[in-house]
Amino acid sequence: MGTLGYIARKVGAALLTLVFVMALNFFLFRIAGDPISQLTRSARLTPADQEALREDLGICQPPPGEARCSVIGHAATFPAYLRETLTGNFGVSVQSGDKVTTLIAERFWRTLLLLGLGTVFAIVIGILIGIRGAWKRGSFFDKSTLYGSMTLYSMPEGWLGMLLILLFGSLLAIFPSSGFQSPGNLSGFDQVADIANHLFLPVLVLTLGYIGEYAIVMRASLLEMMGEDFVQTARAKGVPDRLVRRNHAVPNAILPTFTLVFLSFGFVVGGAIIVESVFSYPGLGQLTYQAINTQDYPVLQAVFLISSAAVILFNLLADILYGHLDPRIRSA
Amino acid sequence: MRGRRILAAAVVMGVLSALPLGSVASAQESPSPATTGEPVTLDVGVDTDVTSLNPFRICCGIDYEIMGLMYDLSWNYNNDTLEPAPGIITEWEPSEDYMDWTLTIRDDATFSDGTPLTAEDVAWTFSFIVDNQMPTLSLYFPFKPTFEVTSPTEVIWHSSQPTAAPDRNASLYILPKHIWEPVTAEDPYSAARQYANSEPIGSGPFTMVERSRDEFIHMQARDDWWGGQPNSVTDIVYHIYDNQQTMVTALRNGELDFVDGLNDTLWTSLEGQPNIATHKGDGGCWGNIAWNFGGQDEWPGGPAPGTPTNDPVIHEKDFRVAVAHSINRQELVDSVYGGTADVGYAMLMPGTNPSWQTEIPEDIRYDYDPEMANQILDDAGIVDSNGDGNREYQGNELNIEIMAITNVTGSAETGQFLQGYLADIGVASFLTNVNQSRAYDLWYTGEWDVYVWDWCPSPDPNEVLSYFTTDQCLGWSDGCWSNTQYDDFWELQGSQFDKAERKATVDQMQLLFAEEVPTMVLNYWSDLQAYRTDTFEGYVPSPNNEQGLLLFGWTDTSYMELEVVGTGEAAGSSTGLSAWVWIAIAVVVALVVVGIVLSRRRSNAEEA
Repeated sequence: MGTLGYIARKVGAALLTLVFVMALNFFLFRIAGDPISQLTRSARLTPADQEALREDLGICQPPPGEARCSVIGHAATFPAYLRETLTGNFGVSVQSGDKVTTLIAERFWRTLLLLGLGTVFAIVIGILIGIRGAWKRGSFFDKSTLYGSMTLYSMPEGWLGMLLILLFGSLLAIFPSSGFQSPGNLSGFDQVADIANHLFLPVLVLTLGYIGEYAIVMRASLLEMMGEDFVQTARAKGVPDRLVRRNHAVPNAILPTFTLVFLSFGFVVGGAIIVESVFSYPGLGQLTYQAINTQDYPVLQAVFLISSAAVILFNLLADILYGHLDPRIRSA
Repeated sequence: MRGRRILAAAVVMGVLSALPLGSVASAQESPSPATTGEPVTLDVGVDTDVTSLNPFRICCGIDYEIMGLMYDLSWNYNNDTLEPAPGIITEWEPSEDYMDWTLTIRDDATFSDGTPLTAEDVAWTFSFIVDNQMPTLSLYFPFKPTFEVTSPTEVIWHSSQPTAAPDRNASLYILPKHIWEPVTAEDPYSAARQYANSEPIGSGPFTMVERSRDEFIHMQARDDWWGGQPNSVTDIVYHIYDNQQTMVTALRNGELDFVDGLNDTLWTSLEGQPNIATHKGDGGCWGNIAWNFGGQDEWPGGPAPGTPTNDPVIHEKDFRVAVAHSINRQELVDSVYGGTADVGYAMLMPGTNPSWQTEIPEDIRYDYDPEMANQILDDAGIVDSNGDGNREYQGNELNIEIMAITNVTGSAETGQFLQGYLADIGVASFLTNVNQSRAYDLWYTGEWDVYVWDWCPSPDPNEVLSYFTTDQCLGWSDGCWSNTQYDDFWELQGSQFDKAERKATVDQMQLLFAEEVPTMVLNYWSDLQAYRTDTFEGYVPSPNNEQGLLLFGWTDTSYMELEVVGTGEAAGSSTGLSAWVWIAIAVVVALVVVGIVLSRRRSNAEEA
């Protein structure tokens, strides 16, 4: 199969997955309960008013004598949902009345910044640790980083966050314990510094929490590679150890980590619910958590769709690039 | 190579050694802001953001706090009695027949955009609520009154029947007509509900100058408010926390001056901490169990007409009394609320309704007495006739459906206890835990026999008393309890203009309610607060008694009265690194990266 055919097949599969996710999102959030009931517990809101509210929010009208819509009833509103979603209209929040796109736009870049920085730092540090640990297998560095990264990886993020808040926010009193920025309409360097101060602790938690994942995968992959014939050959030819590692072993060992990196970036958009919650960080993770609590369907649908789309997109990119890096994949 | 590392390390050490200097040094050396004219900010921690900035969409504690600072109330609350006190309306006089009330509007109030507040604004706000039957708010205007503006400072409230409503805490935010009338010109109800009101214009003592959704709300005192300026506070920042532990840490380290709505574990952990004081105030709500008397089949969205929606045993007063005797209120207070709530019997609470207290006699408190509960059931013929350990009623095994609401404080835990109490008196039950949204679904369809929820009364008893009238079935009523005597009392108190006479009627209603137990009052919740003592002093409870809240009460007295202690900043509070420190760190990182790259290039070149 040629490169274009390979890419077309992957894009087609991604689009199909996206449509499936949209359908799943639509029905999943309508099974739990009816938000209109919560908004209309008042004898003064007539059935006509309720009907109008349902129409505004794009929620199915139950048939006379029924309290809830059936699956078929909900299905009838699916085409309208699909049409609106594809035109970028996610509706309004049931709770606040704000446009969902506004709510998401406010948080999107904050989450991208938090998760992006945390992921990049974790990837860079994790890979470096994994490489050095594998190359110096059994050394003090290898043992200490292996155990250390395993410990951090298995540590609940919420708990690690609380420990760091106590250390940096309370005992050392260096960094603020919550939020994304301070009030006061700061600008310029002051604003950048203020955001950096607020980002420091949550980014540190994410970095420490994810380092282990990359370090372990990289270490295992490189150890496997070190036993390969081409590495032994390079050594036998007298190539300096440093260059064997840099030019022969690592480029081949990094492929599994490469997949992991792309998958991780796919999840960046979804937000980190626990970390954002511990640090009261107003990002998409927090928005998701609140929307789940209040059964805010329009918000939930939009957030889940966007985060699912991001995962699908990065999977697609990983597939395409992997196919480019390793041509054997294209013919598999 | 080694030299570069030492240099880099020295730079890093230099940067790190400079870290603490910013915040601590400034806190120790700055003079008091009160003497310098600098902003004095009260930092308050809360665990929820405002639901909306639209006064027609608000629902919860912080909503009212923010609205109360931005908008003036028609009538304020007297901070001692919570009776109506002059607000935007300074005087209110009835005609002899109580059909017309003359309301005098203050002439020195302005909205934050500079527009004067006049009788037109008051009349428009009231009329809008009445004409569009805005939920909840319209309860303050019985008999569909009309409002006539006779001068910029006078409105006549015309009622079709004698009314005392203007003297009963019709405390509503006065909206600027020039903003809201155009917005609601078409489809008023929906437009009023959907308007975001993102830049609120009000006539209150503070304006909102900055908001980051779910992060903070920044309020600033107006310098032209008719009531004058606060003693010290120029700014209030409400910081919103998802995590109460983080909020408490922020109070401990001085980022916050005040925190509200703590859970009992964290609140207890703050007791005795240096520079921190704790306060337990009236939570404004009472927890209850409410019986379903049926009737949901008459609702358009409910089950088919004639479908039973409850267990018929609920209509037996003896059954309800027996269940009440099986419940240990004190155990619930201790186990569910960690001892921070109070046992309650009446629906009008000491903290919220200080002028409307009714002593519930012991014989209708139905205190914990499982033996008596069993005896009452036996005497009523609700017995276990087949020996399976479960009582029957009219030949059917009892199996009570308990609904607990997971996002209502203590509901799920109380539901579990209730299941145990029912088992103790031989009544089987099953417990369904649902969230609030799902609870409303089930409430409509009647798929429950008893639920564990709460009510939060207003200072005037009219509203909470109305919830249990027959008219409120499928409206605000818990479970469609209907009692003609209660309904008659409610009508009567509505037409009684003498406070003592009305109080006597309200007493009768509370006694009847306690005796019939359509809903069983279990406990009065507390709002647990804590504050730093080294930043501000002079909090005034609202209402001004032991149960009053220091902030988030019925008046904004504390904000006006607070005085700064020292600099108003806690020593050692963490504000982060300055811009220069971050720039230095960035430079160090860049130098290290460049150093590594150069070093690698050189080594590659040497090896080549």
